[in-house]
Amino acid sequence: MTEASSEILMFQVGVRVFAAVVHDAVRIGSVAASPPDDLVCESALGTPFEQTRGIVVSGDEPGTERVLVVDQVIGIRSVPDVDVHPLPAFAAACLSSGAVSGFVLVDEVPMLLVDLPTLVRERPGVPAHEATP
Amino acid sequence: MRDTQTQSRKAPPKAAAKKRNGAAASDEIVAVLREFSVGQYGRRLDLSAFEGGPLADVARAVNASADHVEAEIAEARQRIEVVSAGVDEAIEAMVKLVIQGDLTGGLRIGVADSALAPLIAGVGQVMETLKKFVTEIREAALQLSTSSSEVLAAATQNESSTSAQASAIHETTATMEELKGASHQIAENAQMVASIAEQTLSGGRQGEGAIKAFMLSMEKVRHNAIEVDDAIAKLSKRVERIGTVVEVIDEIADRSDLLALNAALEGAKAGETGRGFSIVAAEMRRLAENVMESTKEIKNLITEIREATHAAKEASDGNKREASEGEKLGSNAMQNVSGILAGIQETSDAARVIHLATQQQRTATEQVVQSMSEIEEVTRQAQAGSKQATGAAAELTKLAERLAELVRRFRVD
Repeated sequence: MTEASSEILMFQVGVRVFAAVVHDAVRIGSVAASPPDDLVCESALGTPFEQTRGIVVSGDEPGTERVLVVDQVIGIRSVPDVDVHPLPAFAAACLSSGAVSGFVLVDEVPMLLVDLPTLVRERPGVPAHEATP
Repeated sequence: MRDTQTQSRKAPPKAAAKKRNGAAASDEIVAVLREFSVGQYGRRLDLSAFEGGPLADVARAVNASADHVEAEIAEARQRIEVVSAGVDEAIEAMVKLVIQGDLTGGLRIGVADSALAPLIAGVGQVMETLKKFVTEIREAALQLSTSSSEVLAAATQNESSTSAQASAIHETTATMEELKGASHQIAENAQMVASIAEQTLSGGRQGEGAIKAFMLSMEKVRHNAIEVDDAIAKLSKRVERIGTVVEVIDEIADRSDLLALNAALEGAKAGETGRGFSIVAAEMRRLAENVMESTKEIKNLITEIREATHAAKEASDGNKREASEGEKLGSNAMQNVSGILAGIQETSDAARVIHLATQQQRTATEQVVQSMSEIEEVTRQAQAGSKQATGAAAELTKLAERLAELVRRFRVD
């Protein structure tokens, strides 16, 4: 019997490694090839150093895209569902960003699970539901 | 004589005179006359024996003559005694005058005899002459005293000067001895300087050759540096070309990585059906990452090569500059060494001349020392003579003083 698993995308911003559900990403693109207006350089995750890769996420409007600028896309890993933990409600209430949806253990190392569409909608320091008109 | 006269005046016995006659009377007269002829006037003829005879007048005349002669003799004797007394008185008076030294007055004697007049006149002349002598002697003694004092002073001064001269000559001789030693030392030093100058000249010529070789080496270094510079420029261009190629490869690898990521993403989205696709994508990504890793290493190597070529270029430029500087320094050193060699040559020549001159100086100094020794000996003799002259002058001064003292005893004024 095969154990249920989830596919997560691991990327690095600054010195930290984050995880996201693969379905949140439309594709992986190059920052240089992306329109500057679509780029999200600063987010609740911090400011990337090299800004070489961009994770393309669907925009609010249909047919629009936002590009989360990251330092590195580490790759795609398949992790058991038992290692994916949603964020407790109390913890979520304590965080200023609503983009953190939980955490996942990869090789027994916990890392934050990020909701990419929510993250690209947020302004730094402002939750997405407040930033959205 | 008086005893003789008294004896001779004794009259002959009458009996004997009576017996005489004729030839006997003549014999008697002859005998008396013979006694007269030897200065015996005391005998008289017995006139009674000649009474009546032809020789009575002769006998009286003989007796009268004898009486007269005796009277004359007595008178002469008396006069002689007077004159002798006058002479004695004159001599005594003159001796007294001489002893007392008083020549101011004339000679006065109590005896007035015409026979003494020449004596008195002579003594007067002697006194005058003596006065004149004493006066002249006094003046001469005074001049002699003055002159002898001057001579003594001069002799003393001369002795002092001679002593000082002897001392100075002795010091000069000692100095010349030292100078002789110094000349010898200078000659040896000059010889040593000449030898060292020769050695330095030889070393300088070797240094000149070394500088020429150094300049040739510097020229070669500069040419090599230029060649190295050209090679570095070519190498730099090649490296830049490699860098460009690596950039292209890196770009391709990056795109391949990106494609592999997206393929993996799509595979993951597809779920179980896309797993094989994801595996291929992951493999592609590993390849792309390997390529990027390699290109990164190549870039690092290129960077190192750039740095190395830059450093080599700097070093080559530095070598060129140093070589040029070395050539200039070598040229300057060459000029300096040429000047030094000329100076050393002049020094060597001068040292040789100095050596020759000092040898001549040493010879001359030795001659001077010899001459000074002779002069010192002569001066020593002169010093001894000067001392003797000073002693003699002192003695002469004493004698002059003594003479003046003696002459002062005579008063002539």
